[in-house]
Amino acid sequence: MRSLKKLVALGLSTALAFTLAACNDNEKSSSDDVEKGDKQVTLDFWTFGATGYEDLAKAYEEENPNVKIKVRAAETAEHHDALFTALSAGSGAPDISMLEIDQLDRFKTAQDRFENLYDLGAKDIKDQYLDWKWNTGENNSGDFLIGLPTDIGPKALYYRVDVFEEAGLPTDPDEVAKLISTPEAFEEAGLKVKEQTGKVFIDSIEMAFRAYLDAAQETFLNPEGELLLEESGNAVKEAFDYAVKLNDLGIVGKFEMWSPEWANAVNKGEFAAELGAGWLKGWMEGNATEAIGKWRVATLPSEFAANWGGSFIAIPKETKNAKEAYEFVQWLVSPDNQIKSFQSKGLFPSAPSVYEMDEFKSNEDEFFGGQATAPVFAKAAQDINGAVYKGEKYFPVYQEVLNALKNVQSKGADPNKEWEDAIKRSKDLLKR
Amino acid sequence: MQPESSREKVEKNGEVSAYQATKKQKLSKKRYRSEEKKDMISGYLYIAPFFIIFSLVGLYPALFSIYLGFQKWNGLSPMTFVGLSNFEIVLTDPLFWKSVYNTIVIGIMGTAPQLVFGIIFAFLLNLAFLKFKHFFRVTIFMPYITSMVAVALIFSVLFSDHESSLVNYLLSLAGVDPVNWSSSEWGTKIAISIMVFWRWVGYNTIIYLAGIQSIPNDLYEAAMIDGANKFQQLIYITMPMLKPFIILTVFTSTVGALQLFSEPTVFLGNSAFTRDEAMTIVMYLYRDAFKLQSFGTASATAIILLVMITIFAVINTSLIAGKGRKKRGENA
Amino acid sequence: MSPLEKRKSTPVSKILIYVLLSIVSLFSLFPFYWMFVMATNPSSAYNSIPPTVTPGRLLVDNFMKVIDKIDFFQAMWNSFVVCSIVTIVVLFISSLAGFAFAKFKFRGKNILFMAILLTMIIPPQLGLIPQYFLISKAGLLDTLPGVMILFFLNPLGIFLMRQYISESVPDELIEAAKLDGCSNFKIYRSIVLPIILPAFATLGIIVFSAAWGEFLWQFTVLRDPEQYTIQVALAQLSNTQNVDFGMILSGVFWATIPLLVIFLLFNRLFISSITEGSVK
Repeated sequence: MRSLKKLVALGLSTALAFTLAACNDNEKSSSDDVEKGDKQVTLDFWTFGATGYEDLAKAYEEENPNVKIKVRAAETAEHHDALFTALSAGSGAPDISMLEIDQLDRFKTAQDRFENLYDLGAKDIKDQYLDWKWNTGENNSGDFLIGLPTDIGPKALYYRVDVFEEAGLPTDPDEVAKLISTPEAFEEAGLKVKEQTGKVFIDSIEMAFRAYLDAAQETFLNPEGELLLEESGNAVKEAFDYAVKLNDLGIVGKFEMWSPEWANAVNKGEFAAELGAGWLKGWMEGNATEAIGKWRVATLPSEFAANWGGSFIAIPKETKNAKEAYEFVQWLVSPDNQIKSFQSKGLFPSAPSVYEMDEFKSNEDEFFGGQATAPVFAKAAQDINGAVYKGEKYFPVYQEVLNALKNVQSKGADPNKEWEDAIKRSKDLLKR
Repeated sequence: MQPESSREKVEKNGEVSAYQATKKQKLSKKRYRSEEKKDMISGYLYIAPFFIIFSLVGLYPALFSIYLGFQKWNGLSPMTFVGLSNFEIVLTDPLFWKSVYNTIVIGIMGTAPQLVFGIIFAFLLNLAFLKFKHFFRVTIFMPYITSMVAVALIFSVLFSDHESSLVNYLLSLAGVDPVNWSSSEWGTKIAISIMVFWRWVGYNTIIYLAGIQSIPNDLYEAAMIDGANKFQQLIYITMPMLKPFIILTVFTSTVGALQLFSEPTVFLGNSAFTRDEAMTIVMYLYRDAFKLQSFGTASATAIILLVMITIFAVINTSLIAGKGRKKRGENA
Repeated sequence: MSPLEKRKSTPVSKILIYVLLSIVSLFSLFPFYWMFVMATNPSSAYNSIPPTVTPGRLLVDNFMKVIDKIDFFQAMWNSFVVCSIVTIVVLFISSLAGFAFAKFKFRGKNILFMAILLTMIIPPQLGLIPQYFLISKAGLLDTLPGVMILFFLNPLGIFLMRQYISESVPDELIEAAKLDGCSNFKIYRSIVLPIILPAFATLGIIVFSAAWGEFLWQFTVLRDPEQYTIQVALAQLSNTQNVDFGMILSGVFWATIPLLVIFLLFNRLFISSITEGSVK
């Protein structure tokens, strides 16, 4: 196989030299920016989502004239698939890449394709970051660090002031947090909204499910890759039952996140509350223009304190400039730059020292009626218990259970049967 | 490159063949054979570029996929040989068979009608009296060049589950209850079939138009003299003369239908690889490879799909080809 | 179809045909029109229910945001280069091979033709990793030729050309040319090529649009912004959060316009081709 590969590759390159000679004019050689004798370094940096890292990279280039950084942005799924393809083929990976927290375990199984950041001096900056976030970037035995922490997604309760008012609930964030301080109180508030206004309390069954789920430290799989769903006291089952219960109470809507109907409902206030992470704020400000001043953010019951989303930055082993790459990444995720990412794109800092900065605390939001929302999320970030183990096939198994819930909601299916079916389908998945 | 001049050449056929017949007799057998040999060499030479490129970029992936079908591989760790177990996993998976069923149903509802409508549209667009020909030809092809991003958004808005969505509103006027287009068994399939039909009918139409262009004019003139009307012309001249092109489109549509991927994926969005109502075979395969990191079972699925496509393509094309075999030119 | 059965088309049947074609055009055009509507409206119009269907005033503003964020014209040029070369190469390879399959006798012809058809049935989604591997080993990662080479494989083109040539190029013409001492390549160039122009138009449109709209492969191969083709560049506009739909759809809309122009150009070739107006 190996020799065949070589042969094919050889044949390909020679033949291409001939067949493509004609179009070489159009190909601006991309290799002319490699080392030009002095210590000139070019770093490829792959990102996803709105990070604003292009601007920070430019600032870094100015400070370090020998470094040039090429930032490529993409959608989350495409970004990770492209990185996976490059790592799998063994060439073409960038010098630096973001990794999303849910995708992390898929890449951890191939830790030999990444630099161990502990070897590059990451121990020295460990104290700057939240423990649970930092530990998530380590392997199971804790001696290998795959990525440095960027942003996090602490969850909080987003709620509509006008709907709460109509339902006779308090509207001040502190009072709301005090009233809705347990899962039971959460239900009761939901019932009140339903009775008084006829509206649903939360947008979708997925969010109802995630209430407990995101807070759990052990969910679908253990590090050996075994399915935990059938174990007694499994957190997923608890989350599942709670979602079914909320649905039975009639306080769960059918607005799927990111759909036009959901966006419209956020705008018009067709549901009262959302269990959202910090980054949802950025979306709301840009897209729910009719709802200015109508949403607030409050701390969730501690049972629901959780993280949703956030990323790490890793250095694939292929790089020839690991040292320079590390220096840039370390600079990029430093507290001083995390506050900048927060101010420009709402990336929530994972370095607690930022929470004490005045620019952070006083960031008042027109959209949230002048509320300074950052401290609410900062409190949520510090309430989070510890690193969550997800596993390589977390997402597919999560989807199977979510499908079961959706069938319960939209087809009135029997929850117990759906749960059993989901377990069966999950087992099928894990055989592969 | 004056098209007219080539046409003249074609019309001189009669004279040409007479001329050629006399000359052929003068040829010695030996010379004739060397001519054959030259043709053979040209033949191989002319098809060589394709095969060279294929052996460079097509063959290796194909062989690699077949090899992978017998391995367990997550894309990053070393492979392990597992014999036929990948095939067993796939063939005993109810979801695989569901995806086969879905693919065939959507193929029948979304792809097959394209062929019928494609011929009708092509015939109409070629009518001499038709004004705004340019305009109609361009618009009918527009769906093919409209960005998938826009198409996906439009269709998800038109076919949204809510009672207020345009399609559900129109259905309510006819007294039909709102349909759940994103997760019901038939709703998803119907919406996707409409999308497939909409996007590809223009594509087939222009292939048929090319075919119609290759039909010699005199056939229609003769038919007119015999008093044939438009409909008869369509049935007795256009259709039979188009047969090779019909076979072509039946083949490509069969392959396309069984490999359906983009339309359901963009229509379903987030739930594309997580629900079974409209999961097609290639989506099943893609899910294995890129969502479950199981390249072995994905490759096994691809091999099974390859066999299925071959069978379907042979059945479909021979069904079409079998009806009223009329040999024109050289049909291998 | 009954109105068609009159000897000469009556006004009624003509009107019916126009009505039918107009309805078809309307359905075909609507998403394209809607793309324009979104390109001229603010982001919030995207999610409004009922949907916005009238053009707004942000035609220029949205597009300025696009060229501010990405190198739109460079990317358009790259796509244009890729698609033009791909189209020319595919037309050449396909017509040559199609000519051979239609008009020459050689051993193993049918089997080779079947082999070409078989290459169509490998699902492209699975080839991604091995193909990427080949391109990277050949040092073509992040180059436009690396993007192109995959599109050169086009079995459909050979199929179409073979069919068209065997239909429309008379054997007698080729025989005669041979007797006059024409080489086979000369026959291809001066007899076959002019006759198959309409098929070139068809195949050219299909190949060009397919290469223009393809995303996954181009995205996987290209990483340097200077090499980006338009689809890859457009992907830079969208983010998971904070999405400016007006801007995105503006980029998408303007990126589709060249396709329309290409289609009109090819269509001209099509219209002026030999059997124009054959059915009277």
